[in-house]
Amino acid sequence: MIQIKKVLSSKYIVTLVWVIGLIILWEIGATVIAGSKRSPENILPHLHQIIQSVFTTNKVNGTQTAFQMVLSNTGTTLLRAGIGFVIGAGIGFLLALLMNLFLPIEKILFPYLMMIQMIPILGMAPIVLAITKDINKSRIIIAAILTFYPVATNTLAGFQSVAKEKHELMYSLAASKFEIYRKLMIPSSLPYFFTGLKISAPMAITAAILVDTLQGGAGLGTVLSQSLKHATTIYIFWQIVFLSAMIGILSFYFMLLLEQTVSPYKKKKKK
Amino acid sequence: MANLEIIEDEFKERDASLPRETEIKIENLCVTFPDKNGGEPIIALSNVNLEIKQGEFISLLGPSGCGKTTLLRTIANLQDQTSGDILVRGLSPREIRLQKKYGIVFQSPVLYEWRTVRRNVCMPMELLGMPKKDRTARVTKMLELVGLMEFGEKYPHELSGGMQQRVNIARALAIRPEILLMDEPFSALDEFTKEKLHEDLLKIWKKTNKTILFVTHNIQEAVYLSDRVVVLSPHPGRVSAVVDINLERPRPIAIKESQEFNALVSKVRNSFEGV
Repeated sequence: MIQIKKVLSSKYIVTLVWVIGLIILWEIGATVIAGSKRSPENILPHLHQIIQSVFTTNKVNGTQTAFQMVLSNTGTTLLRAGIGFVIGAGIGFLLALLMNLFLPIEKILFPYLMMIQMIPILGMAPIVLAITKDINKSRIIIAAILTFYPVATNTLAGFQSVAKEKHELMYSLAASKFEIYRKLMIPSSLPYFFTGLKISAPMAITAAILVDTLQGGAGLGTVLSQSLKHATTIYIFWQIVFLSAMIGILSFYFMLLLEQTVSPYKKKKKK
Repeated sequence: MANLEIIEDEFKERDASLPRETEIKIENLCVTFPDKNGGEPIIALSNVNLEIKQGEFISLLGPSGCGKTTLLRTIANLQDQTSGDILVRGLSPREIRLQKKYGIVFQSPVLYEWRTVRRNVCMPMELLGMPKKDRTARVTKMLELVGLMEFGEKYPHELSGGMQQRVNIARALAIRPEILLMDEPFSALDEFTKEKLHEDLLKIWKKTNKTILFVTHNIQEAVYLSDRVVVLSPHPGRVSAVVDINLERPRPIAIKESQEFNALVSKVRNSFEGV
């Protein structure tokens, strides 16, 4: 009896129940929608159909299967998201450093940074596009804009959370400002910096896909919107939905892995 | 535990026939804090006079709010004085701090959790600009001194509280400070660990002949460790007595049960005012 309780309360069981529940809901939905279908393809296909579509050898555009098409566009989108993410993270870190070094900068800058963050991406994208006049550049810039804010705020919080005694130790040793940042502030705020990265990595990818949808060219978002407009098969849409969800989650874990490599003491703490 | 052979180069045991030089001279020191609600400023220290000789072990003893930590922090230049004078070897506390002559042991270990034990001890030497080879050798010596040789590659969170405090002490001693300032370093430790660290601290002190200022609220601890106990009383913080502890050294743990020791404890206890 106790053993059954233990099994039931374990994390895996909870996850399993969720997954099974979602699958059942999905299949009910798919069946209902299939019954009232007005389009040639089922908008909400059964799960097994989606899985089948991944492995099928049927070409959708003469040269590629659905999945090949998705994969080749994934690379394009990921590259843009990646470049934007790195630029955004760099700017975010520098901004945090500047804001911490000069209090007036924090006071002047912070409210505006927050405002930039509150503009919806889809509202911002046309503005950026109008300025840069290049869709690929704007895709990168928007990924960067979404990235820098979580990185900047988290890193700043990291700088500000350094214990008073740690500062006093540096002060008692007559450390210079540069030494204080190099030996205390930056290493101490690394976990916060990585928290920022973990939040913004999936966001950069989401942003890159969303901005893709605005205009043609390559990219997951472009293919996604084509698929939704029935220009290609609907399975491409669902493959992208699942794949991008997986990439988003993976990007989070990739940051976690990076963090554990950079700061080994954290990894040991987990054991 | 404390292995003293390894700091042979720092042995400067005092020639008892020579007069001791004055290390720290405090005259009419006052420290006040502005009241947050705009009222009368709070007097943390009022008219403190104290002279500390080179190589002395001095305890600053008192209940909370008596200004003992404020006094230590003012000497360390972590707190500004309001009026009066402090001279450390003829210089201001600020000048001594800039020369990196203070070793400070804080109440909490204040270790950098992203650095291993070795690199924590190494940190002050990096600031001193010591060459890497010297630093490595010195860290090894310091870890041996505090009995943590096998723990060099551990991270602070993997150590017990007592071990962390040993690292704290090793780090403070690493740069060969002239004056060791200790702010209730053992107050968070259990009785057994504390006694062990007391013994080790006394051995290290005797061999290195550093001047030690030790803040505590524990009367037994102050009497056992010190040459002199400076008794501070609150409201306002002031020195109410300075008690000479003329117990023979080295002091075995058993001395704490002697009549002499207990007489001194009572004497110190009776010199508090207004508590």
